[in-house]
Amino acid sequence: MNRARAPILKLEDTLIASVQEALMDADLVGLRDELVADVKRYRAHAVIIDVTVLDVLDSFAARTIRNIAQMTRLIGARTIIVGIQPDVAFAMVQLGLTLDGMETALDLEDGLALIGLRPGKACRA
Amino acid sequence: MTYKETVVPEPPLAGDEIRQRKAFLEFRDDDVARLRSINELAQRYADAVIEDFYRHLMSFEDTRAFFTDPAVLAHVRSMQKAYFMRLTQGEYDENYVANRVRIGAIHERVGLPVKSYFGMYCFYLRSVLKRLHGEYKDNPEQAVAVFDSLMKLTFFDVGLAIDTYIESRERTIQGQQEAIRELSTPVLLLRPSLLLLPIIGLIDSLRARQLTEQLLRSVRSNRAKVVVIDVTGVPSVDTKVANHLVQAVEAARLMGAASIITGIAPEIAQTMVKLGIDLMRITTVGDLQSGIEEAERLLGYRVVKLDGGGRQNPPEGT
Amino acid sequence: MPEELNVPIRSEADLVVARLRGREMASQLRFSSSELTLIATAISEVTRNILSYAGRGELRLRLVREGQRAGVSIVASDRGPGIADLAAAMRDGYSTSGSLGLGLPGSKRLMDEFAIVSEIGQGTTVSMTKWQI
Repeated sequence: MNRARAPILKLEDTLIASVQEALMDADLVGLRDELVADVKRYRAHAVIIDVTVLDVLDSFAARTIRNIAQMTRLIGARTIIVGIQPDVAFAMVQLGLTLDGMETALDLEDGLALIGLRPGKACRA
Repeated sequence: MTYKETVVPEPPLAGDEIRQRKAFLEFRDDDVARLRSINELAQRYADAVIEDFYRHLMSFEDTRAFFTDPAVLAHVRSMQKAYFMRLTQGEYDENYVANRVRIGAIHERVGLPVKSYFGMYCFYLRSVLKRLHGEYKDNPEQAVAVFDSLMKLTFFDVGLAIDTYIESRERTIQGQQEAIRELSTPVLLLRPSLLLLPIIGLIDSLRARQLTEQLLRSVRSNRAKVVVIDVTGVPSVDTKVANHLVQAVEAARLMGAASIITGIAPEIAQTMVKLGIDLMRITTVGDLQSGIEEAERLLGYRVVKLDGGGRQNPPEGT
Repeated sequence: MPEELNVPIRSEADLVVARLRGREMASQLRFSSSELTLIATAISEVTRNILSYAGRGELRLRLVREGQRAGVSIVASDRGPGIADLAAAMRDGYSTSGSLGLGLPGSKRLMDEFAIVSEIGQGTTVSMTKWQI
């Protein structure tokens, strides 16, 4: 995966994957593998995936994000998806992609608040 | 009033459409040839026709009103001459169409009523007819044939011009409808992070979509964590409407906001269940007040009445 | 800005291009930003199907007119194996586990007109149109 497309930052025991631009399928799968590896490596308890910049979230993306949540849950971390934009949320729901059972928040700030953290000193994972 | 050539966002009039219209008017290559054949003639009498034309316009109060400014009048006259000359130039392609559409848009923008627009065209045709009659005295058949071609082209032009009038009207209507819709469904911020969306009246798919869009944008701009959607004012909730509501709730959830739907009458709730809508997927509370209280609870608010405030109620028993 | 455009679908990168071109083309009309996203999403679904099931194909984008209304036509075609059971593919079978099959019923919901033609061994063509209001 091209790390520049979705750099992973670490804030205490939370990993933040901030998607920078439209990800290709391989990037998404790569991100999933990286996150799982990082959760193990750092014994992270939470993962936040920030998709603010994405203008389309289709069924593949939704499936992969769900995989990330499922896999990280198996190794003890919760996943929160943040930054879904109004148009994207609407399209997803029309398509039937409700991400049922997954935690969501408006943006990174709210996502961190959900975990009980404030945006502070994050470093590259 | 200053007269400016404005760039108009033209509706894409594809080549296909142009061809279809010409076919319908039976405007063919021989018409093009005929019009081109009188181009030289047109140049000769252009000024005279324009002169007559403006004398006619200025003799009527409503059209005169548009040309009180001499600078405007001069500009318009030269444009009219250009317009007139273009009729016999022989190129009636996309550029021609673009030109006609632009002119129509300008007239519409300036506020020239359709009746005046038609009246002007009528005057044109009649002026030309007179001159054609004079020019082809020895060959009346040719005059008729040329005029026939000119008529087809004129109606082609008029069709384009009227399109722009309609296009502009529709844009205005759309804008007004948008405004009405926004007004009729305000999304209210009751407390920080708490939005209220009271829906009144019938919901169709279009309105449902607009409501959802408004709601989602509101969630983002107000950073809402809870949304109360009140449907007390919605007379009937069928499967479609119920599905729209569910979708709105799910979309809001993707943005981190929980929703509470209030005001669903028991009978309607029954119908929804019968229709197979999973009410477990959405939180519903009987009435608006309870819904707001529930929302406040979710957000960690506790409403406490202060002692000594307001009307003193007489103690029970007295 | 063209009114007709073909995008070859041969790799993942083409999916991104297809979405972008679709959005660009549709933005020539009076679609809201929300509708543009619907269009881009539908394009994403059908072009991904091409890649996944046929390996390669083509996306044809076109602005269309019908009387007074205008819209965008999206045709995704491939010469892949074809869909064995179209009825099943068009049935709403998404589950909460997230396995969504071909995403066809979903794409249909996003658009105004939807048609699919598929023959075993010949390929599949999905045609969708969205009209501006």
